[in-house]
Amino acid sequence: MRRHAVLWSFVALALVVLAPFGVVLVNGFKSPEQYSTDGPISLPDRVSLDGITAVWERVDYGEKLLNSLLISSSVAVLAVVLAVLNAYALGIGRIKGRTWVLVLFLAANTLPQEALAYPLYFLANETGLYDTRLSVIIVFTAIQSAFGTYLLASTFSGFPRELLDAAVVDGAGKWQTLLRVVVPVSRPTLGVLFVFFFIWTWNEFFLPMVLLISNGNQTVPVSLGVLQGQQMMDATASSASALLGVVPAIAFFLLFQRALARGITAGAIK
Amino acid sequence: MTSKRLTAVVLAASLAAAGCGGSAGDDDKTFRIWHYESPDSAMAIAWNKAVDQLKQRHPDLNVVVEEKGFEQIRKTASMVLGSNEAPDVLEYNKGNASTGLLAKQGLLVDLTDEVKAKGWDAKVGAVDTAARYDESGVMGGDKWYGVPNYAEYVLVYYNKDMFDQQGLQPPTTLDQLTAAMDKFKSAGITPLATGGGEYPAHQVLYQLALTEADRDWVDRYQRYTGDVDFHDEAWTKGATTFADWVAKGYVDKDDAGLKAEDMGLSFMQGKQPVMITGSWWFGRVKATIKDFQWGTTAWPGKMTSGGSGNLWVVPKGSEKQDIAKEFIDITLSQEIQDVLRDSGGVALAASDGQAADPQTQRLNEDFAAVAAADGFGFYPDWPAPGFYDVHVSAVQKLMTGGATPDQALDELVGPYRENLADIGK
Repeated sequence: MRRHAVLWSFVALALVVLAPFGVVLVNGFKSPEQYSTDGPISLPDRVSLDGITAVWERVDYGEKLLNSLLISSSVAVLAVVLAVLNAYALGIGRIKGRTWVLVLFLAANTLPQEALAYPLYFLANETGLYDTRLSVIIVFTAIQSAFGTYLLASTFSGFPRELLDAAVVDGAGKWQTLLRVVVPVSRPTLGVLFVFFFIWTWNEFFLPMVLLISNGNQTVPVSLGVLQGQQMMDATASSASALLGVVPAIAFFLLFQRALARGITAGAIK
Repeated sequence: MTSKRLTAVVLAASLAAAGCGGSAGDDDKTFRIWHYESPDSAMAIAWNKAVDQLKQRHPDLNVVVEEKGFEQIRKTASMVLGSNEAPDVLEYNKGNASTGLLAKQGLLVDLTDEVKAKGWDAKVGAVDTAARYDESGVMGGDKWYGVPNYAEYVLVYYNKDMFDQQGLQPPTTLDQLTAAMDKFKSAGITPLATGGGEYPAHQVLYQLALTEADRDWVDRYQRYTGDVDFHDEAWTKGATTFADWVAKGYVDKDDAGLKAEDMGLSFMQGKQPVMITGSWWFGRVKATIKDFQWGTTAWPGKMTSGGSGNLWVVPKGSEKQDIAKEFIDITLSQEIQDVLRDSGGVALAASDGQAADPQTQRLNEDFAAVAAADGFGFYPDWPAPGFYDVHVSAVQKLMTGGATPDQALDELVGPYRENLADIGK
């Protein structure tokens, strides 16, 4: 009985957490007229797809979806590769002054993006990369791999020395050790990083907004910003756009959740 | 999919990304227009007609209209205009902290000669203050850096059915408005819909202050032409009257956290009979309310918040400045202005004929009367960057009883003076 009480109170808490998403869901399928007359809480009379299709057409959502997919997946791959290389040098290679390098990476992670905006804009403008998707890929590869380096370097410093020594005995060079021993063993962790980098990049708003100014180059979150007006918001369109914006990230998460589960429990039982 | 194949796909995608650069299409034939109006607004409807005309005049021109987010334009304008990717003409916010700042940074084309040559000044008329800036970017100067083609102002929306039920006439003086709200209150209805979390509540306070204000008062506050005393008769009346309305229950103190959207919904659902807010709500109110009669009336008093709408500005980097000027000229033509008015906007140079819809006609007539009386007080948050949040916070405290009228006004003093010091006044 007591066990059930705990369980039920958690269910109640979960419902409280989910309630705002429920409101968004309900309003995403409501007609604008009904929203204006009945308010945000009422259930829709009929399921109206008008809001969703209107948003889709207004921002040319298919094009934005491709842009986001391109940018997020490129960043996820490149950032994992870069982080592995960095962390190999820092965590296993144990180069001189590695603690300070890691502190630097950590400090860079805490910089607010607003502070980066102007320098990045200036560099992009000077190199002719302003308003290209490539500029965003480069920027976020750097940002995500900084975090990845910090995280991986710590795991790599606890990498079983026996395995490394065995590789050396077998005549493996530095590259072979990395590709044949370190990467396969830490694949679950790399999988987790890949998923996180993808979702984090997908959800980025501020820097893509600054760097991608043509509508044709924009990502999903930036293009959906169109719906927030100066003095008014369109509540049904905003709800619909929130749904459209989050669904791909959720789909990606579900697709790769096995990688996540494996990564998180990796090494839990020896 | 195995992870190897996945990696291959993703790598291919990233290589593809590296291959394709910007798609801005900056060739000789492309003319780019940016704005941030929603597609069904009066402005967007009129401007789309103007774009059609521009296309007809220049059949070989590729006219690209890009709808932007308000935040994106606000946060990135100075960067965009300083790059090669700037559009040829764009909608931008009026005011010292917006167009004034860009003008001061040298990013905008000085349109003064064009304005005189084409007679735009005569069309824009009484709301031209926010189109002109001096060399330090303060509005009301002698150079035109932007051109408005519509106006906006704060007015009173009322629910005619609810007024009729109480045997009340639409209010034409502040006393009548107060008496009407009193009657509603005794009938158990909280009369004034508002929201303290965004612009509605502090605009009401400013409206009340404006009842004691004149042109000189507004210029001192908005254009820094003289000393501003936040405890003078006008400001004190604004704050004390507003506090009094809260105390008497004309305004619900729980509305302190509400947004503009909540205010509008409450009025459009017929829950509250009065809403004091801008003409930008007109189109939506008109499209939404089907179940009862409603009307608008000008703010009772000589001055009201308002002025020109947003401006068309031409970036220095535009390679087609002549076509940009031609486009602005088209938006100010009588034909486009009539479309703007008939779609529920406040037009600047429409024909003398009546709008098809009497409510829209009334909206435009009330605007003309305020313009004729030189009665525009702009908006309370204009004088200093970041002043919007200061106003919201002060009025919220006034609503919840966290501050007396004097204390609420005190909060405005510091940020205002800091800005004066920043611009060297």
